[in-house]
Amino acid sequence: MDPLNEILTQQSRRTFLERGTLGLGAMALGSLLNARNVTTEHRNRIGGLQGLPHFAPKVKRVIYLFQSGGPAQMDLFDYKPHLAARHGEEVPESIYPAERKTTMTAGQKSFPCAPSTLNFARHGQSGTWVSEPQQHVAKLVDDLCVIKSMHTEAINHDPAATLFQTGSVIPGRPSLGAWVSYGLGSENANLPAFVAMTSNGRAKAGQPLYDRLWSAGFLPGRFQGVKFRGQGDPILDLYNPAGVTRTQRRRMLDALNQLNREQAGRFSDPAIATRIAQYELAFRMQMSVPDLIDVKSEPQHIREMYGPDVATPGRYAYNCLLARRLAERGVRFIQLYHRGWDAHGNTPKQVGVQCGDTDQPTAALLRDLKQRGMLDDTLVVWGGEFGRTIYCQGKLTKTTYGRDHHPNCFTYWLAGGGVRGGITYGETDDYSVNVAENPVHVHDLQATILHQLGIDHERLTYRHQGRHFRLTDVFGKVVKDVLT
Amino acid sequence: MKHWPYIGIFLLARFSCLAAAPLDYGRDIRPILSDACYDCHGPDAKARKAKLRLDDRSAALESGVFDDGEMHKRLTSTDPDLQMPPPDFNRVLRPANRAKLLQWLKTGADWPEDDRHWAFVSPKRPALPKVKNTAWGHNPIDAFVLARLEATQRQPSPSADKATLLRRVSFDLTGLPPTIADLDAFLKDTSTDAYEKAVDRLLASPRYGEHMALGWMEASRYADTDGYQNDRLRYMWVWRDWLIKALNDNVPFDRFVTEQMAGDLLPDRNFFTQVATGFNRNHRINSEGGSIPDEWIVEYVADRVETMGTMFLGLTLTCSRCHDHKYDPIAQKDFYRLFAFFNNIDEAGLGPNNGNSPPFIKVPKSWPDLTESESEFVTPDPVKIKVVQTSVPRPQPGAPDTVMVLHELAQPRPTYLLNRGMYDQPDKTEKLQPATPSVLGAWDAKWPRTRLGLAQWLMDPAHPLTARVTVNRMWQHYFGLGLVKTSENFGVQGEHPSHPALLDWLATEFIRREWNQKAMHKLIVTSATYRQASAVPDERDPENRLLARGPRKRLTPYAIRDAALFTSGLMNGQIGGPSVKPYMPPGIWRSISNASYKQDKGDKLYRRGMYTYWRRTVPPPTMMTFNAAAREVCTVRTDLTTTPLQALTLMNNKTFVEAARFLAERMLRQDAAPRERIAWAFRTVVSRPPTAGELKLLEADLAFYEKDFVAQPDGAAKLLKVGEKPADAQLSPTNLAAYALVANTILNLDEAITQN
Repeated sequence: MDPLNEILTQQSRRTFLERGTLGLGAMALGSLLNARNVTTEHRNRIGGLQGLPHFAPKVKRVIYLFQSGGPAQMDLFDYKPHLAARHGEEVPESIYPAERKTTMTAGQKSFPCAPSTLNFARHGQSGTWVSEPQQHVAKLVDDLCVIKSMHTEAINHDPAATLFQTGSVIPGRPSLGAWVSYGLGSENANLPAFVAMTSNGRAKAGQPLYDRLWSAGFLPGRFQGVKFRGQGDPILDLYNPAGVTRTQRRRMLDALNQLNREQAGRFSDPAIATRIAQYELAFRMQMSVPDLIDVKSEPQHIREMYGPDVATPGRYAYNCLLARRLAERGVRFIQLYHRGWDAHGNTPKQVGVQCGDTDQPTAALLRDLKQRGMLDDTLVVWGGEFGRTIYCQGKLTKTTYGRDHHPNCFTYWLAGGGVRGGITYGETDDYSVNVAENPVHVHDLQATILHQLGIDHERLTYRHQGRHFRLTDVFGKVVKDVLT
Repeated sequence: MKHWPYIGIFLLARFSCLAAAPLDYGRDIRPILSDACYDCHGPDAKARKAKLRLDDRSAALESGVFDDGEMHKRLTSTDPDLQMPPPDFNRVLRPANRAKLLQWLKTGADWPEDDRHWAFVSPKRPALPKVKNTAWGHNPIDAFVLARLEATQRQPSPSADKATLLRRVSFDLTGLPPTIADLDAFLKDTSTDAYEKAVDRLLASPRYGEHMALGWMEASRYADTDGYQNDRLRYMWVWRDWLIKALNDNVPFDRFVTEQMAGDLLPDRNFFTQVATGFNRNHRINSEGGSIPDEWIVEYVADRVETMGTMFLGLTLTCSRCHDHKYDPIAQKDFYRLFAFFNNIDEAGLGPNNGNSPPFIKVPKSWPDLTESESEFVTPDPVKIKVVQTSVPRPQPGAPDTVMVLHELAQPRPTYLLNRGMYDQPDKTEKLQPATPSVLGAWDAKWPRTRLGLAQWLMDPAHPLTARVTVNRMWQHYFGLGLVKTSENFGVQGEHPSHPALLDWLATEFIRREWNQKAMHKLIVTSATYRQASAVPDERDPENRLLARGPRKRLTPYAIRDAALFTSGLMNGQIGGPSVKPYMPPGIWRSISNASYKQDKGDKLYRRGMYTYWRRTVPPPTMMTFNAAAREVCTVRTDLTTTPLQALTLMNNKTFVEAARFLAERMLRQDAAPRERIAWAFRTVVSRPPTAGELKLLEADLAFYEKDFVAQPDGAAKLLKVGEKPADAQLSPTNLAAYALVANTILNLDEAITQN
């Protein structure tokens, strides 16, 4: 046998095995092949790469509460009491250089300092500073690790959000959840490993989102985040057409399976077996998803905890409760996006509106996970694509101000398994313009999230266009200081 | 990790049994060195460690690491301080590959003087290989394939049956299945050239241009919106019209590419060649307020370089944007010299808020039937910037009756190397002139240093890559995988061709036939290789790289939709024109953006999938479910995965349920018994009659559904209201609904979305 031939064949077989057994429920084939990549310590795992996790994971799953639009750090967590005295003074050029101001404000004649008008108070044993609109989350600060020193290069929403979700501003790369799903597989045979949900709040308009934020990029398409929808079928085309009963559907599937099996006999193509299995999985999803989204089955006190929006699909509160229910069912990566944080004008009021939509549900989710003992093996991540400027965009008055995009410093928080709760990490300068201490870059956060799942971000790679790509590009350091 | 040396020795022992096939540096060794060693010992001088480079023959030989035992020691050591690659390096050198390197060292580390990577050497026309089975084969392609099979003691498969073959070639050439009339005519035609006549008919069909345009549209990242943030509208369908027509007219590939690259610079330029240049305007454009214009012009220009690299050169030029290429001999400066060709467009950094971004030209109402004077070249208006929102610089927007084109600035923008690829870090010590990397072939002094010259360089018969990369993509179209599997990467890190001589024969044949695209397609589909039956298992070659059987593949996302519309009689066959907005899930745009989707009505719901409105940030979900390219960046290869979402789409999606309803109406219009009606629909969809067993099963189902609907007529009424086209009121609703479920079953067969 000539060596090239052997190489070809080895590669083909490898690809075949990967195709056949990985990812969202190629179960039938997986069991046909004796589920050979299910290791003893992950007996319930479907798919995933051999050798992963690289080390003992701290958490089983991630819930990422992405706050789209750029929350204003100085109106939420990054308290600057001394700035009040500088209201209306120019922010010095030495602090805020001209080059990285967006063209929305670069043409302003003046850059007056706009200290937050919101009240802050210390909370919990840790005495963490939190602004008034976040009264629910404030009660849980001892569970939070507040990182005030996040920074990014991207100054516009689209590249900035894409960087957070895929590690690059260039489209076409896999998203964080897709990498996790590729590496670790799924723990539920009837649900996808990676789910994405979006919500709109009461703010007038939000920044748009993009399907690429939960896409599989160059990874095989089955690792893409499955979008749970706020309107129509919760998963695209989940329900039978009007007039078609479950009995009829079962009958049709039986016929289909038999005909497809005959086809499989004629063409020994494993793709047919996979297709048969996927129809069965689709049928089971038709059963399991309505049960999953039946939030009315939750006891009254739980629903009340999440607040009045909890029964409305497409709202943040609904998505938060769904996140918990997905987490309980073993979904590995649950990605929420809430729109509306892009407050260029009347920022303090807008921050209030956003918190009105998100504060209570976020806190409820944390409490709910905690009371079920699930916060110990879940990582919860909160934050947006960048922060906002301390200088005022538009007209500054005593009571209000606007804020433009600001990439140099902003706040994230983490909670859950292996995270040091009740600490504040990193510092910003007196103006909340630059990181003064312990900078954490987007790639560092990504490396840290993967680390908690037992993944070495440098070793989870995929060869594409001749290059071994990874989520963190060639960057990223695990932020050990925030971990227990 | 500890045990690898032993595994290595074990494998080495296995490999030494293959002594008959000596290791070839280019094929066997360089790919290993490049993957495992080049990161620190490769072309990128800045990343190089220990002053050792293994990508350059003289430097490597001079270092002496092959002879003095150093490399051997490093490869076999268990000392973490010595072993290579180092244990903390995140790349794995597989035991088999390590064994190969050791074997290569042991046998004298032969590194030929001419060590150019195979793809950088012009293809030479190979002689046809000698084969034992001289009875097999229709054209030279088959000799290459058969020789390879015979070398591994394999046999080609017999020819596929006629119906299967007609279905295969109809989908491959037109994206649609054959009709029953097509099938009957072909089955009846027993002449020796029956198949060739069928192929000629399909090549002459206007559906050919539509179907072939799709791959090009995906690679050219064609879309109806700008692709960033608010994802504003643009109007580029006129370019799509041009593309379909150029393919149907069989414009020679060199002219086809030249018009797209430089239709504005041709001596015989006209309105149509100008429209062709829209190819290089299909990239995304950022309209987000606050963006810095200079930054985004750099992105657009880089996108053009990257797209050219992937589509024509099969190279990942993007790597060289920030640093010298890690694997291929493309320096960072080379990237910016290519960049200089595309850096002279009279364009704006920010897009307008909705509408085309300059340069654009007005399209006469009579498009595409332009009068002589309308067909003349038009000089686009220069960019006019207006500052809005205090400081956002926006250009004038192009109305729906315009199309974006290329147009040169009178004064070229200066090009510099950009450190780390950043727009604000130009290396101003040297202004770079447009030039191509010399390793990819010589530049003829008579070519202008413009995009036109660049196109001439690409289409030069001596160019090592363009023809190979193009015929490889053609091969991929038919066989699912290219002869070079990594069709986007012919570089050192790309995969070696499975049939190198065949690839070169096809490349030289393409040039010999004066870049005649249809001739090449005909050559491939009339080969015995293509015509083989696909039902022959070979566990040792699951991907069919050795081509011992015909291609079996799932249909493209577009063909899946089109076939359902076509077989149900719903398809609106209009060719060209603006994109249309068929059914979408509720809130498809609104839920994540500030735009609302306004669905079309009537006939527009049933156009072919290639005309579906493509909003880049929210691409049509059913297309994406079946693995369409996202149209954000150039994509020439997409994987086909199978997911439960696909099953849900085919069973429940409005388009597919409506198609089942109308396939049922067609069934009921057959003046025949239920059994024959089912057989007719089955054959219409999968191109073969059902077996007795299949028929019996579906007949029983029909009776079951019918009984069910008679008992619950409400259900039937509801089902018949799925989709906007009303059901024929003359037909019994319960009867029709029962047939619709049988049709739904047939449309969901694996075979319905497969070319066997």
